[in-house]
Amino acid sequence: MTQPHEVEILLVEDNPSDAELTLRALKQRNLANQVFVCHDGAEALDFFFGDGSHALREIGVVPKVILLDLKLPKVDGLEVLRRLKEEARTKSIPVVVLTSSREEPDIARAYRLGANSYIVKPVDFEAFARAVSDVGLYWLLLNHPPR
Amino acid sequence: MTRRSWNWSIERKLPLLFSILLLAVVLVMLGAAYQQVRHAALAFATGRLKRIAKTYADALPLDAANRRKQSAAMAADPGVQEFVMSGGTRGRDWVLAAMRRIAPDTSTTTVIEVWDTAGHRLILRGDSALHSDSAAVQPLDSTAVGPYRVRHDTLMYVEVQAAVRQGNEGRVIGRIVQVRRAVLSKRSRELMMGIAGGDVAVLIGNADGAPWTDLEHLIPAPPADARKSTEPTLYQRGEAKVGIAGTVAGTPWMFMVELSREQLLAPSLVYLRSMSLIAVLIVVVGAIGAWWVSRRITDPLRHLTTAAAAIAGGDLEQRVNVLGTDELGRLGQSFNVMASEVKRSREDLEAKVVERTHALRDSEARLRSVTETAHDAIIAADADGNISYWNPGAAHMFGYAVGEVVGRPLTLLMPERYQEDHRRGIRRYVDTAEARVVGRTVELHGRRKDGGEFPLELSLAAARTAAGTSFTGVIRDITERKRIELALRETNAELEAFSYSVSHDLRAPLRAIHGFARILLEDHGPKLDPEAKRVLSVIDENTRRMGQLIDDLLSFSRLGRKELETARVDMAELVRQVVDETRRNAGARALEITVGSLPPARGDRNMLRQAVTNLLDNAAKFTRKREPGRIEVGYQANGAEPVYYVKDNGAGFDPRYASKLFGVFQRLHRAEEFEGTGVGLAIVQRVVTRHGGRVWAEGKLDAGATFYFTLPGVSAV
Repeated sequence: MTQPHEVEILLVEDNPSDAELTLRALKQRNLANQVFVCHDGAEALDFFFGDGSHALREIGVVPKVILLDLKLPKVDGLEVLRRLKEEARTKSIPVVVLTSSREEPDIARAYRLGANSYIVKPVDFEAFARAVSDVGLYWLLLNHPPR
Repeated sequence: MTRRSWNWSIERKLPLLFSILLLAVVLVMLGAAYQQVRHAALAFATGRLKRIAKTYADALPLDAANRRKQSAAMAADPGVQEFVMSGGTRGRDWVLAAMRRIAPDTSTTTVIEVWDTAGHRLILRGDSALHSDSAAVQPLDSTAVGPYRVRHDTLMYVEVQAAVRQGNEGRVIGRIVQVRRAVLSKRSRELMMGIAGGDVAVLIGNADGAPWTDLEHLIPAPPADARKSTEPTLYQRGEAKVGIAGTVAGTPWMFMVELSREQLLAPSLVYLRSMSLIAVLIVVVGAIGAWWVSRRITDPLRHLTTAAAAIAGGDLEQRVNVLGTDELGRLGQSFNVMASEVKRSREDLEAKVVERTHALRDSEARLRSVTETAHDAIIAADADGNISYWNPGAAHMFGYAVGEVVGRPLTLLMPERYQEDHRRGIRRYVDTAEARVVGRTVELHGRRKDGGEFPLELSLAAARTAAGTSFTGVIRDITERKRIELALRETNAELEAFSYSVSHDLRAPLRAIHGFARILLEDHGPKLDPEAKRVLSVIDENTRRMGQLIDDLLSFSRLGRKELETARVDMAELVRQVVDETRRNAGARALEITVGSLPPARGDRNMLRQAVTNLLDNAAKFTRKREPGRIEVGYQANGAEPVYYVKDNGAGFDPRYASKLFGVFQRLHRAEEFEGTGVGLAIVQRVVTRHGGRVWAEGKLDAGATFYFTLPGVSAV
């Protein structure tokens, strides 16, 4: 099982199929080992701001990149993004918005809130896998967030 | 009122004018004639004076010459010579006898003397008081006549100093002197006057001054310049005279013949008087004639004037009596014709007025029935913004009855926040005709009698008439429309949320189906038989297609909702970018794309780019089986409506189905031939239509296709 302190990628995705496909795509690039998955917005906020319901989380562990779906149960993705970018501790973590929505207001709003990238999940699996793994690699290997 | 005195009738003006003219002509002619007559009289008098002067110049020297001859004869008498030589002692009786021969009558010859050269008078006959003095005796060697002198108030002249010589050729020893009284005998005077004629005066005197005589009395000498002139001269002597001077040969005397100027001009004055009488007669007769003629002209005119005044006063039956066939007669006839015309026109006009009044009443009734039954409020107001008309629709809408609002200001019907703008707007329009609301339809709010506000739509018209500006407003209560608009907006928002959900929620399961089918194929492929693999690939293909359909559908629906962001679009640049992209996508395939000159358009750049992209993608897709594929992007200046086009040499289409090309999900080719969802051209059509343009296509099966579109606001290059 993945240890929280080793978390490099935090995937926030409510759809188990999408989560599995995403993990598979990352795995093909050997990136799946340090991935932690949150299944709704509330869980994602718990992971960082810990009000107790998330057992595995440890304050101080910071992922290198967050892959954030927008349409989430309980707390929606844009709200999560807003909270992350408000908090000094989490502000510098790159957030890649990963969603099926091509609706323009979402794109514009996500960028306004400080998203670093935006990927529309294609239906085509190969394209999806390529996009996800490219983004993962980019932020993990090429981008060095300020420490 | 002073002007009034000049405002005379023609009846007075005409004769006056004529008389003045006549008088002027007569005066001028009279003046000219008088000048002629006067000139002739002067010329005649001058000629006469010259003739008389000539006669006198011939006659006067005769007597003096005669006397000189007598004296010379006496001087040549040897008895006289003897007497002088003896110093007056011898031959005295002889001498006296000789003296008596010369001067038998002492009334004219007053004195006759004989002098010696020593200055002694040797003998004297006559009145010794009038004797000459030695000063008058001049030491002459011949005979001469002396000047006139006055002696004791009597005019004398010294005649003859005839020299007495010793022997006829010897030395001068003495003189004979005669002193004569310069008085003419009555007969001589009559003779002289007879020569001159009774009105001409003859004056005689010394050439170098006084004394002068008029043959009866001593007179002052005439002026020197007159005395010297042999031409007629005007001068004053008691009265104005015209005279000519002449010398008397052999004497120091002069004579003048003169006429009184008044007398000289008398005939011309007589002429003037008689002619003036005739002139007055002519003027009087002329004035009477002119008055008569003007009466003849003005009488009918007065009738016409009276008749015209009567017609002007409304009596259209008035006519004038027509007399004669001259201009006045014709004028009268014309007047009567005109009066008939006026009467007929008036009757026509009255008939028309009646007709129009009926028509107007009908039209007004129709209009009234429209306004009375209209559901909209129709309100009229005057230039001060006070209500002048109020239809039942208005009463229903605002809750005021007619009697409650007519004459009250329009502000009654508006919420406070509009009132100041409204008052300013009316003032501005009335003063400057600057219309901000007039002639337009605007959305505002109204206030009902109960104070409730409601949204309304106002169409305001203004009429500027002689009576001033008036406004007419048609007001529609748009409460219901506003409600529907709100509902529509809500529906749109819901639709947007729905499509958002669709895009998100429909794609996720598809992605799962596709993804897991792939996993099955990749991970368990070796265990599957060929049929299972084929089925999995069908699943793969269809989920891919479904994803594309959803994407296209969403972008199509987005086009309908999105606001146009209109700006100038450089079509040449836009097409160039899209063509680059198309070339990139075509890869190694032989594709020739030519772009002609393209004018800029006005529109939403992103949308136009989408449309152009779709057209080029379409062309690229259907030329895939051509080697090489040819695409031409261009523009035709097609009169008032410039047309852009995209032409290809691809698969073309059956023209029978041309109308179906632009329908959503409409496809003319099977998916195996050319892939596609049937949304691309529908998007093109929606973009062009939203810009206000048209799109159409021409083509034949297997012979290429041309897609045309127009955009308004494009001007030909």
